Amino acid sequence: MNKKLPALLLISVFVVATCGLIYELIAGTLASYLLGDSVTQFSTIIGVYLFSMGIGSWISKYFDKNILSWFIQIEILVGLVGGFSATILFLVFESIASFRIVLYGFVSLTGILVGLEIPLLMRILKDRYEFKDLVSKVFTFDYIGALLASLIFPLLLIPHLGLVKTAYLFGILNVLVALIVCVSFKKEIKASKYLQSASLISIIVLLAGFVYAERITSFSESQTYSDTIIYSKSTPYQRIILTKKNKVLRLFLNGNLQFSSDDEYRYHEALVHPGLQALPFARHVLVMGGGDGLAVREILKYPNVDSVTLVDLDKGMTTLFQSNKILLGLNKNSLLSPKVKVINADAFSWIKAQRKKFDFIVIDFPDPSNYAVGKLYTNVFYTLVKSILAPKGLIVVQSTSPYVAPKSFWTVNKTLESVGFKTIPYHNYVPSFGEWGYIMATEPENVYKKPQQYLPGLKFISKESLDLMLFFPKDMSKVETDVNKLNNQILVKYFEDEWANVL
Amino acid sequence: MSGQTFYKDDFTAYLKRRSFLLRIGLITGGIFLNSCYKKLKSNNYNIKGNLFGPNAKAGHALRDKIKIPLASKTRKVKILIIGSGISGLSAGRWLKNSGELDFEIIELENHIGGNSHYSSNKVSSYPLGAHYITIANNDDELLIDFLKEINVITHFENDLPYYNDYYLTFDPEERLLINGEWQEGLIPDFGVPQADKKQIRRFLNDVEKLKNTKGNDGKFVFNIPVHSSSNDLEYRKLDKISFESYLHTNGYDSKYLLWYLNYACKDDYGQKMDKISAWAGLHYFASRRGGAANAEQNAILTWPEGNGWIMKQLATGLKEHIKTSNMCYEIKKMADGSLSATIFNLSKNSTESILAEKVILCSPQFVNNHLLKNFDREINYKNFSYAPWLVANITINQLPDSKGITLCWDNVAFNTPSVGYVNSAQQHLKISEDKKILTYYLPLCDFEPSIARLAAYSRDYSQWLDIIIPELEMMHPNLSLAIENIDIWIWGHGMIAPTQNFIWSDNLEKARKPIENKIFFAHSDLSGISIFEEAFHQGINAAKQILNNNG
Repeated sequence: MNKKLPALLLISVFVVATCGLIYELIAGTLASYLLGDSVTQFSTIIGVYLFSMGIGSWISKYFDKNILSWFIQIEILVGLVGGFSATILFLVFESIASFRIVLYGFVSLTGILVGLEIPLLMRILKDRYEFKDLVSKVFTFDYIGALLASLIFPLLLIPHLGLVKTAYLFGILNVLVALIVCVSFKKEIKASKYLQSASLISIIVLLAGFVYAERITSFSESQTYSDTIIYSKSTPYQRIILTKKNKVLRLFLNGNLQFSSDDEYRYHEALVHPGLQALPFARHVLVMGGGDGLAVREILKYPNVDSVTLVDLDKGMTTLFQSNKILLGLNKNSLLSPKVKVINADAFSWIKAQRKKFDFIVIDFPDPSNYAVGKLYTNVFYTLVKSILAPKGLIVVQSTSPYVAPKSFWTVNKTLESVGFKTIPYHNYVPSFGEWGYIMATEPENVYKKPQQYLPGLKFISKESLDLMLFFPKDMSKVETDVNKLNNQILVKYFEDEWANVL
Repeated sequence: MSGQTFYKDDFTAYLKRRSFLLRIGLITGGIFLNSCYKKLKSNNYNIKGNLFGPNAKAGHALRDKIKIPLASKTRKVKILIIGSGISGLSAGRWLKNSGELDFEIIELENHIGGNSHYSSNKVSSYPLGAHYITIANNDDELLIDFLKEINVITHFENDLPYYNDYYLTFDPEERLLINGEWQEGLIPDFGVPQADKKQIRRFLNDVEKLKNTKGNDGKFVFNIPVHSSSNDLEYRKLDKISFESYLHTNGYDSKYLLWYLNYACKDDYGQKMDKISAWAGLHYFASRRGGAANAEQNAILTWPEGNGWIMKQLATGLKEHIKTSNMCYEIKKMADGSLSATIFNLSKNSTESILAEKVILCSPQFVNNHLLKNFDREINYKNFSYAPWLVANITINQLPDSKGITLCWDNVAFNTPSVGYVNSAQQHLKISEDKKILTYYLPLCDFEPSIARLAAYSRDYSQWLDIIIPELEMMHPNLSLAIENIDIWIWGHGMIAPTQNFIWSDNLEKARKPIENKIFFAHSDLSGISIFEEAFHQGINAAKQILNNNG
């Protein structure tokens, strides 16, 4: 009997080592998902983790009596801390300011606890082996465990379980070690009953976490999104999902892609510059929709612009783009600029009460995929827009894809014309979206002069590219449609039909 | 002072005694009727709300001729209008626009508007009765003038009126729950067999033809207002048969078509097709020819508060002429030939006599029957049948997803007791609203109106929920979990029902005749059809009669 037990303890070494490395990998991966820059994140996490293990090893000398029961208690604690680490880190990520403190706190705590394990185990085993055998066996199992962890983590665990469930799984394994050791050595341990029940309860809690992982963190979308979800939130108006793969961020609203960080510049440059570059006198700009602040980022490049008013329905959205560090990097802090006034209001009600005139108006609403949003593409709405446009001003409307949905695109054009606008439709290619369309509109007596040059530093727009954008090849050419009105909402029907063929 | 107190005590005691007797009667009737309905056991829904209705106490005081205090003062008004429903307001507006300012409108309720009454809560305004009008027939100049005046018609394009975009019903307009799915439009289509569809098309073609048919006098066979329709007996004889037998004779037997037509009768007249005359049944489909520059034929105009909105427009400028919470108790002829109206002030509990040269009674005939006890009006009041209605305003915090098209303005389910519900927030401009008010309309047409009315008065709030909730749950499973409040309004005499031999009867023609060129009549029950347009024209007609007389 006495011979079996050391073998059991060596298996514990193996499991403990695997778990320890897994927690480290989880923390590193999570940090690079959430904070970006994986090299920095992994280096600092590994550094802090190893250092904490050192602290743990050093502390181990203060454990004198009942080492076995201490070992079991630490196992339970590691299991709980490690098991819940991913969930808690995901949940607190929203409060970005304190996130690093929580992150490195977790990493240190896990490191210290893991650092305690091996020295304690070695002391438990010291009387059962010769020293050279002990060192050789313990470190062999330790490193085998590490190899196993580093192989299964990227190949099996992340693709199939995801971060949150992996953490719970290894938390459970850790506590299982505690339980088995506790049962096997019950004669040598005081209060073994208490430790047994503590580990049983911990296993149940972790198991519940494992089963309800998706519900707790609401990351059930992970199956529908190919990339890793790093942020998700339900506001009263929509579900915001932010994903990341390599360096590319993607924002989804209610499951529809809003932008992809690698090519959004093509969309936002095309949306803003052909219009605003042609209005050297423009001082007051209005953006409706576009709570991500990316259009505002482009607008703020013009020194002549004194004020930008952004009207977006969803406070959850504008707050996210005013506070999240990665997103602030993307929109260049545009929504924090003193020139920018953010108003969270329903666009239709807001514009109806509006009297101030704007030189340039950017209308960047979600696609007209339902009757509610469809109201914002009607002649009544455009009449209101016209009433707050300065006489020489321009508006630009994102108008879905003239390639996939030509009837929808040309309906927006027709509707703008029906309220007395002269329109200038154009389009460009945005890899994430496909061929995309925009329509500028102005008072009929104004002449749109194509800008001869653009601001330095733009990646897409130039004099030549605008010429191409203004030309509509045969497969996107104008089709006759009706005017979109509140009492017919034909645009929603066209949009549904045309995109149904694609999606 | 003490005299008044005496009267007050006496009156309330009397009223209490009378209402006690009344209640005994209603309870007995209610118990009797309970057995006629399936189960009346309440399921104890945990839903808040109230049961309201027109001032039945005052109404019954009138019916039962309860003693009121003697008149404490007398004053003179040239023209006295009784009732501030659409016809009363329309008469007042016409007088005022014609320069006649010596008139007063007396209203029994503490609010104006009659059937166009509305209310509101934190979520939205909502109708308690009538909730839409169709765009005007292009030959209806008086109505078009009014719609221009209140900016419902903003301008004309190619001689066609351009209706205010904010008031034309927003898309999506109508849906029908049929064969497990919500389809667009109310005419049954989803899962309907070909033979039935063919019959539906035949009926619609027939009424389309009738819509453009003129009688031998050159007038449209079916028109609005009703009495501008043709005199051609060929078509008028349709008033003598029921709509049901007309359909039977013409070979219409598709259950889907018959459901749809029965729905239409309930929706517009509060009664089923066996009670409604064929002429009225066809009028619903064949009288509306309104064209617009920016909407389809027969497009619908609506507002969150229903016809409460247009009623307010009609009342603009009449405020100082209207006295609410004042009940006309009776009208007498004085020795000098003038008229004396006894008016009981319900809030002050005092009575006054108003001496008037002319009176326009804009009250329904079942009320006039009591007011005109002193006159010999040779009509049979029993021929006037009024359909009782229930209107429930349901505040919900979400609408469960359902199969098919999304929430529309008008939402109807195939083969259910009600005529569906209307989304009061349809005309809201906001993109996203979590809470909504659904206005649910239930015509109480399973029994004779008098019996259904009695049963309605005796039913309590939870018993109404037992009728409303199961139907709503059928339309939207688990909807009751999303309900925050239900306010129920009972209209005992909701609307005139155009029964057989009513619209074109001698009786109705006599009822429209003024008495001695002093008492004039205006109410939609004198048209036989309870719609805004009829009441609007009734009011103008009466005002014109008086003004012509003066001239």
